[in-house]
Amino acid sequence: MALHVITGNRLADGISVWFAGEAGWAEHVDQARAYDEVGLEAALDQAKPADAELHVVDIRAVDVTQEDGKLFPVAHREQIRARGPSVRADLPAGVWHDGAKALPPLPSESSTSPFAGIYRYDDYDRDFLRQRAKEFGAQVARRQAGELSEEEFKPLRLMNGVYLQLHAYMLRIAIPYGVLSATQLRQLAYVARHYDRGYGHFTTRQNIQFNWLRLEDVPDALAALAEADIHGIQTSGNCIRNTTTDEFAGAAADEIIDPRLYAEIIRQWSTDHPEFTYLPRKFKIAIVGAEHDRAAVRVHDIGLEAYKNDKGEPVFRVFAGGGLGRSPYVAVKLREEVKLAELLRYCEAILRVYNALGRRDNIYKARIKILIREMKPEAFIKMVEDEYAALPADYCVLTDEIVQAVAARFPAPEFPRQDTGILKAEVLDDRALARWVKQNTHPHKALGYVSAVISLKPVGGIPGDASAEEMEIIADLADKYSNGEIRVSHVQNLVLPHVAKDDVPALFRALVKAGLASDNLGLVTDIIACPGMDYCALATARSIPVAQRIAERLAPRQHEIGTLYVNISGCINACGHHHVGHIGLLGVDKNGEEVYQITLGGAADEKAAIGKIIGPAVPTAKVPDAIDALVNAYLNVRETGERFIDTYRRLGAAPFKEAIYATH
Amino acid sequence: MPLIDAKGEAIVDAAAPDELLSPDADLTALLPRLGELAVIAVEFPKFRDGRGFTLARGLRQRGYQGDLRAVGHFLPDQFGALIACGFTSFDTPPEHSPAQFAAALAKHRQPGQLLRRSLGRALETA
Repeated sequence: MALHVITGNRLADGISVWFAGEAGWAEHVDQARAYDEVGLEAALDQAKPADAELHVVDIRAVDVTQEDGKLFPVAHREQIRARGPSVRADLPAGVWHDGAKALPPLPSESSTSPFAGIYRYDDYDRDFLRQRAKEFGAQVARRQAGELSEEEFKPLRLMNGVYLQLHAYMLRIAIPYGVLSATQLRQLAYVARHYDRGYGHFTTRQNIQFNWLRLEDVPDALAALAEADIHGIQTSGNCIRNTTTDEFAGAAADEIIDPRLYAEIIRQWSTDHPEFTYLPRKFKIAIVGAEHDRAAVRVHDIGLEAYKNDKGEPVFRVFAGGGLGRSPYVAVKLREEVKLAELLRYCEAILRVYNALGRRDNIYKARIKILIREMKPEAFIKMVEDEYAALPADYCVLTDEIVQAVAARFPAPEFPRQDTGILKAEVLDDRALARWVKQNTHPHKALGYVSAVISLKPVGGIPGDASAEEMEIIADLADKYSNGEIRVSHVQNLVLPHVAKDDVPALFRALVKAGLASDNLGLVTDIIACPGMDYCALATARSIPVAQRIAERLAPRQHEIGTLYVNISGCINACGHHHVGHIGLLGVDKNGEEVYQITLGGAADEKAAIGKIIGPAVPTAKVPDAIDALVNAYLNVRETGERFIDTYRRLGAAPFKEAIYATH
Repeated sequence: MPLIDAKGEAIVDAAAPDELLSPDADLTALLPRLGELAVIAVEFPKFRDGRGFTLARGLRQRGYQGDLRAVGHFLPDQFGALIACGFTSFDTPPEHSPAQFAAALAKHRQPGQLLRRSLGRALETA
């Protein structure tokens, strides 16, 4: 006989709770009351008023089995909800914090990073964030008082970066175009330590997520972050999200135009935009200003490539309608050249057409990429151009004055250090240093400098996670070696953008001591993985343990294998960018079992391509074998200097299919 | 349902709309008649449906100077954005009292578009 329990999440702190009949809602599944088919309906009626009374949301029945008097949810997701993330046995689900502690002073009161290349707030900007934190506090209070329904509250909390996930509320904080000061990273560490369980997760959109927030603490956490000029505004919801860019912006040797200034202008324009905050669906903009596209602009809703025209003026190549998710597309080029003064106007025209015509009847068809394909790109472009032509001439013009005013808020870093040969000499004697330098540093526009990547992908670790202690160590190293500046990369690593070559050996030794010196950038263990079903309410499979097993299996050969991007998503929404991995893995649920579809040939750069599925999905336990087989097939046939993706492009899927499916 | 103005104050003796626009309305047909219409109402079937914001901006930018009225379901939290897009009267929904809308205009609420200060008048549409 089928057994059920009734579950939901508590409004105040988001933890999973279980209906225990007259005893109300219990905090552990073991205390739940089980119902058979006959009793379930009446029990749901009894449980549901809690929703109206504002204590429990998302109330529903789930199937359980009973063994030795204990209840076990049948679905993997519910098991994880009941127990906590499978990859963090040290963090059981349930109440972990009563929120009543007195907190120490904020790092921002004693820490400054005057040289970091972040946009400098003034009182207007700072007051804006303080107001938003207060406004959200008032919205939480109105929700708790019943003035806002859950349906009405949800978009408002999402627009402040607050999701309800499996174990608690998740708070997503924007890191505008991936640039952080050391002080800001310390403030994030502070939030991780005092409002969360000691860590955060860096995402593919250059944001950070905290996983264990209590709703009631969120306004305080946002107020704390506001003091360091950071926020969660528009990190979710159907609005314009954080504008992302190249993690080496302002540093890279191959850069044509530093995109941060334009990303900041777009951030200010899109923040609380009155017209475009209730779009059909989320809207993501990326901008790059280098020859090599490190911002994946062709898989964004709007992608901008900044370059210089014949007169040396900054202009923008505009793409739209790229994206991953259920229907992956490479973007369509709308315009070869939009002048700087017209940049926001042209974006307004695109968004206006999208807001008016984008589908609102089906969440899976609501992104601009679908509108463009349904209308045909030519018709869409014509509508955008018509709309653009109809804008009042003086509307939203980006004058030199405005651009200069924003530009003046970015400190101009100086790069006075010369390369005196210290690094060159040391790499001769230190193979570990030599390998880390080769793998994890990137050429800098100043001769005496490099950009250094701190991998958040230790073999067997959780991709993109950093503890509060690690954040503080990295903040200190940034102060010491990189103008107090840190970048977040879209592959979930951190970057010290401006390190003098002479300082590299000392930096490396400090990273080794902190356990942060994984020399795997761009290698098979540098895996992009979404949080997956260990945390995420949308996921259909776990991503993290799969990444861990692949990394453990292939780490011994990773340098031999060379550049190979493995991207893992725990559901079709593709937060792990599986479509654009050289090898992509998509976790799906097949009759209660987690299995993984394998795609090959994806790329997110200027040769953007959507990977192709190569055959039937592989069970979890077989995934490392399958990746191992793909790698062996590549090693067998690669030509000198050929990366995995090059071999795939030369030979197609056949040798790889053979390698996986012939062995099964 | 109580009708309020952009200050959150009650409007008495309001005129009925000359035109009620559904969210999928095409403005092209309306453009020649804009000068004749004293009140245009724009419908919000659900607060999440943001098409009304674009309709309002479109009307204002094409020269409409009459009363622009929001009707249907919208939130006090959207009051500032509705005003910024050019709405001038608001048929408040039964779920949210005029007092809640007035409160939404208080200090520390709805800071508004961040770039507004730099763009200044270039962004003003009403």
